[in-house]
Formats: sequence, C-alpha cells, structure tokens
Amino acid sequence: MKIKELIKNDAGFQYIIDNMDLQSAAGRRGMLNAEFVNNPTALEEEWDRVAEAIRATNDIPNRRYYIDLRHCLMCLHDLSGTFASLANHTPLNEVELFEIKNLCYMSKAASTAIEGLSLTPTLSLPDCSEIFALLDPDHTGIANFYIYDSYDSRLAPLRRELNALQTSGGDPMRISELLAQQSDIQNEVCLRLSDQLHPWVDTLVKTLEQMSYGDFLLAKAKLAIDWQLVRPTLGDVTRYKNLFNPRLKQRNEEMHLRYQPVSIEIRPGVCLITGANMAGKTVLLKSIGTAQMMAQCGMYVPAEEATVRLLDGVATSIGDDQDEMNGLSSYASEIIKISNILSDCRERELLVLIDEPARTTNPVEGKALVQAIIKILEGRPSFTLITTHYGQLGSSCRRLRVKGFVEDMDNIPLTPQSINRFIDYSLTEDQSDNVPHEALRIAAILNCDPEMIALASAQIQ
Amino acid sequence: MHSASVKHFFRIFATDFMPFISNILQHKSLSIVGLEKNTGKTVCLNYILHRLNELGVQVGVTSIGVDGEQVDSVFATAKPEITLFRDTYFITSEKHYLMRQALSNIVAVDSQRTSLGPLVTAKVLIPGKVLLSGAATTSILRRQIQTFDSMGIGLSIVDGALSRLSLASPTVTEAMILATGAAVSANVKQLIAKTRHLYQFIMLDEVEEPLRTILGDIESGLWAIDSDQQVHDLGITSVFLIDRSEQNILRFGHTLFAAGAISDRLLKILAAKGKDITLIARDFTKIFVTPEVYTEYTRRGNRLMVLQRSKLIAITLNPTSPQGFLLDSKSTCDALSDALQTPVYDVVQIRSEGE
Repeated sequence: MKIKELIKNDAGFQYIIDNMDLQSAAGRRGMLNAEFVNNPTALEEEWDRVAEAIRATNDIPNRRYYIDLRHCLMCLHDLSGTFASLANHTPLNEVELFEIKNLCYMSKAASTAIEGLSLTPTLSLPDCSEIFALLDPDHTGIANFYIYDSYDSRLAPLRRELNALQTSGGDPMRISELLAQQSDIQNEVCLRLSDQLHPWVDTLVKTLEQMSYGDFLLAKAKLAIDWQLVRPTLGDVTRYKNLFNPRLKQRNEEMHLRYQPVSIEIRPGVCLITGANMAGKTVLLKSIGTAQMMAQCGMYVPAEEATVRLLDGVATSIGDDQDEMNGLSSYASEIIKISNILSDCRERELLVLIDEPARTTNPVEGKALVQAIIKILEGRPSFTLITTHYGQLGSSCRRLRVKGFVEDMDNIPLTPQSINRFIDYSLTEDQSDNVPHEALRIAAILNCDPEMIALASAQIQ
Repeated sequence: MHSASVKHFFRIFATDFMPFISNILQHKSLSIVGLEKNTGKTVCLNYILHRLNELGVQVGVTSIGVDGEQVDSVFATAKPEITLFRDTYFITSEKHYLMRQALSNIVAVDSQRTSLGPLVTAKVLIPGKVLLSGAATTSILRRQIQTFDSMGIGLSIVDGALSRLSLASPTVTEAMILATGAAVSANVKQLIAKTRHLYQFIMLDEVEEPLRTILGDIESGLWAIDSDQQVHDLGITSVFLIDRSEQNILRFGHTLFAAGAISDRLLKILAAKGKDITLIARDFTKIFVTPEVYTEYTRRGNRLMVLQRSKLIAITLNPTSPQGFLLDSKSTCDALSDALQTPVYDVVQIRSEGE
C-alpha cells in the first residue's frame, strides 16, 4: 500500500505527511508513492539512511552543503511529462530542453553537496555530465539555454543579419523571412537534440527519482529532529515507551495544557482497553495506528523508545463513519467495516484497532457482537486492540485499563476546562471483567443538567 | 568606458527634456494600467521600453494574467505586441515564449504551471516582439519583481491589467502609469469624469504599519479593527452576502477592512449604518463602486483607505477609440491635466515626435 492510500483512512498519518517539509512537488509525489514496507532488511536500511540524514542535518560545520542541497531540491521540477515525450520520440521544445539541462546542472550541484556532507553511500545521483554537455555546446557551464549558434552553421550569419535589421528597424519582409528560416533551423536542432537525448531517458528518470527521494529523506530527518522522534528497533511484539500523538501534543502545548504520553506493549492476540470516557482510549488507538504506519514507511516514530513488530498492514474502525449519502447508519457502516476486517485478517498479520465496537446499537446485542468479534480475532494471527465500555464479556483475553480520574491531584478546582489535569492516561494491566462506571460523574463535572443526572443515579440504585 | 560615458551624457541630456522618463527612472518598479481595453497601454509600454533602451537602462518586464493577445478579443483590432530590446529580461508563459520573435536565452523556468504552461524567464539576445502572459497572483508578481531586483536589474515594469477577474494587483509596484483614452468615452467631459473616478481611488491614503502587515495576511471576509488595533472577524465571508439586517457590523468600532472586492452594496449598507466609518480596501483595483454611491458614502463623513498604493506618476492618453472616434489630443491632455493635477501625455504623439 502506498502512502497516498494510507493517508486517506488515517487523519493522524495525514497530519504527519502534511507536516513533511519537502522542497519540491516532485519530492512530494515521490513521498506519496512510497510503499508501506514489511521487509525487515529494507526498513533497517532505510532507518540507517534516515540516521545518516539526521547526522548530516545536524552537521553544523558543513551547514552550507546542507543549505546547497536543500536549494537544489527546491529547484526540482516534475519532468515526468517531458521524459514521457522523450521516450516516445516526441521532439522537445526549448523550454523542455532548458528543464533537462537545469536538472543535470542541479544534480551535479547536489552531488557536490552530498559529498560535502559525506552522504555519498546513502544518497547517490547518476552522472549527467554527458547530457549536460549535449545542451551546453559552448561550454558555459551554467544552466541557461537557447538554440546556440554552434548547433548549426547557418544560425550565426542569419542571426547577424537579423540583429542588424531588428536593431536598425530594417525591412519587415526580410525580417519575417529570416525569422521563419531561424524557426525552421531551430526546430531541426530541437529534433536532433531530442534524438540524441533519447538514450539517456532512463538516466534522467533515475536522477529525478533519486533527487525526489533525497527530498523525502531530508524531510524524514527534519521531522525526526523537530518532533523528537525515535528510531524503532524490530521485535516480536510492539512496545512503546511514552508514545505520543504529535498533533495532540502540539495542540496542548499551544494551549498550555498538559500532555501525557502513554507506554504500551502490544502482543499477539486480542487486548481489551477499558477506561472512563475522556480517558484517551480513542486517541491511544489512533496514535498506535499512526506510529505503525510511520515505522513501516521508513520513518522514525513518536515515542521515547520503540520496538515494532512488522505486520502486513493496519486495519482500523475508529470514529463515527455515518455516511448518509450511502444510506448507511453509523451502526451499519461500522459493522460492515468490522466484518471486512475479520475477513482481511484471515490470512494476513494485521494490526487491528477497533474503537468501541457496537456502541450505537442496543446493549444486549451489542455486547454479544463484541464477544463474537473477540472470539474470532483471538483465532486470527493479528495483533488486536479493542476499546469498550461493555463489562462482563466473559473473555479471558488480556485487558488494559486507563487509570483515569485521579482526584485531589492538586488543589485546582475541577472544571470542564481543567478536567484533563485530573486524568492519568497511563495504562495498567487489569484482571477483572468489569469496566469503570464514571459516565454520571463526568456528566456532573461537565455541568450537565442536574435533573438528568439525579434521575439516572436514582434509576441505577 | 567611452560608451558608458556617452550613455551617461545621453541620460542627463535626455532626462532634462523628458520629465516623463526621468520620473520613471526614480523608481525601481513601475506598472502600466489601462482604464479600459484599447486605451493605449501597450503603445505606452513600447514607448517607455524604447526610450529606456536608448538610455541604456536595463529593465525586466512581466505582466499580470494573460495579456498581449495578438488580436484584441473584443474589437478584433490589431494589438501591438511588445518589442523588447537586447539585454532586457522578461517573463512569459511557455506557450507565449515559444511564439516569440526575439531571440532569447532562458535563465529560469518556474515550477508553478499556468494554463499556458510554466512561466519562463529569459534574457533578450536579438531584439524582437514578445507576447507577455504572467503572474496570476500578487505574491508571484511580488516575487518576480524581487528576483529582477536581486539580479541587479534597475527597473521592473509590469504590464498591468485592471480586471475583476485578476487576482494579481499592480499596486505592488512603486510607481504607476494610468492609460486612458477615447475608448473610455468619446465625450471629453465623460472621459474626464470616468478617469477622475478611478484616479480618486488610486490616490486614497495608505494605512500605516503595523496594521498594513496584519491586514495584508488576511485573505477573505470583512473585518473590524478596534481602538487597540485588534482585528476581529465579523464572520461575513463575502461582502456580497452582507445584508441590511446585519446589525452589529460596527460593534468593534468604525474601522473596517474588506479583504475582497468592495461593492456599491457594501458602501450603501455602511452609509446607512453610521458616520465616520473608515473602510480599508486592499488596493484601488478591489474597489467597484459607482460615483453616485461613493459620493453619498463620503458625504456622510465616511472614507475609504487602502493597504497598498503605487505612486501615480503620469496619465497617458490614447485619443483614438476602436470604433474610430478621434479626440483632439492637445486640448484633451490639457483638460485632463488640469482636472487631475497630474501630467498627461499623448503617447502616440510624443513617440512620433521623438522619432
């Protein structure tokens, strides 16, 4: 699966990708076409390259090379259309020839910067000097282009006459004649150059790809530095120490709110996550999904320490997907999605993340459905996390409970605004089959209608 | 050395006798804006390029939006292309670049594409005609002028368009020339009235910093500025959606900023709401107000200001209209000049005198 498909279903990962500081549209295109990888060797190699890019980014004595490299990447244009023309023997025009010359020029400048940063084995660009030479017959060494006189012996005398006439305001008929002749010769030259460039198309494609990749690689490194991401190690189970959600962490920092990272170990089989409302269960699932995608797309992950078990994919059912246009209620669209997940993970090892399944239907059938889902997923090769408010599910699977409300944490009055300071988001292993009953208390803290709360309490007693 | 001193001498000689050109040379960027089509904007531009070439001044030429069609699409009259001289830098789209007559050396191609391909920057090697099509937005235009400046080019010239459809504004340039003419009206009184109407918006006062920068970043909607210079969104996404039931438009004070176009409708509503209102427009090109409504608005003590304006250095007159009307050049120039207290030149005439 490509990054561009992954971000469609995961707003958290989309946020990460949107924050990648790429210099060019070509780099962005390369990034969106990068694959979700399940090959330990390939990922270790990619993380090695990210580590090298981080080293180069932090290499202050050689900062100028880094700035040069970023500048070259900024000048990168998406020439895939031009390369397609070249491959099809469609003659290129002057502007396209300039673009090719410019790419070769930038690739040479980028190679110099890459050497200066000692990044050579990590990022290497093909040699384009012969292509540049074809487009630089006067050996100017700069990235300017026009159909030079030296391409055709007829051009110099013709242009001398044209220049004299144009400068002195000479005979318009003769000028038109000369312009037409010049145009014909220029077209011949463009045709000839296009033929000469044809054998180089693969080199050019590779150069563009490698430079696009370089753009993506430097962006990965910059994100890892800016957001303090960590290189994952590979393992049989996934284990995060202080996993954080970059989007929420930044939002909380902007609003001067506390942000608490969470540590978790994800083992094969099913694990239930319970906890009061507002205890961060949904955010936790989202963060885990995003981190898995980041890792398997060769990025560092948002945690203090991370061990990642490579899997075939991430399957999620999080949030309300009510789609009135499809005529599906939130229950219907959710249950279809879960049913698809169950069949998807029959053969494949997936990270399955399901947020409060069957919460929008009646509790009797809802609970039965959750029990069924747990039972089926226990027999699959997946790593499953399910959040739920249903208790007494009668399953022996692993349970983690969000610690939740810690009263008297300090002396600040408990209000809807300060509520998150009273929640301990960390997880604890839970042996019981019960779930916390704190819905009414939270409603009271949120200043909801007292009559409603009183009546509900009376009903329970 | 010799040629440089001759140029220098010629420059002093020429500028003494050509206040028009010497005025231009005091600025680093200039836009030429036509009040309507066929007001001689291109003739004016060609004249200036011709004179500057004689003076040995290197220029960079760009334009707003798509312009320079070979045949005017409204009246099908032959539209003069722009003649560029040796060493002039210019920016145009790929499509128009490939149609040029001048021989030129490409120095850069922009990564952003327009409907006519990417924008190409090139330097003229052999003089000739060029079709210009350029920046679609003000920020691109500003960047182009900065690029010319950083290349050591003394003067950037923008072939400006005045259109509701154009997102790019010519007011990013320091100086401006307004082209008017018989195409606006064949009646001299009306011509003066219409030119004066636009002129008064060109001459509106600029707001000061820091407000200028703060408001400059706002892209849409109607905003209020309170007495502490705090900016508040009035929650009106388009001034075209505003209606008379809007009660609280002045709740933050009497200074407002409209990021988009200013219409008669908005001014009428404001005029009905109160006095001493200052409405800030982005620039004069965003003001689409009829003389009657504007008079009524100001009569009540309200005023308009702009975030950005160019210094109007001259008005040019094209005495012929595409329908064939011909105005008396001298008397019309004098009448316009008296009415607007700005130098007015008949570009066709001074060009023929100069040659």
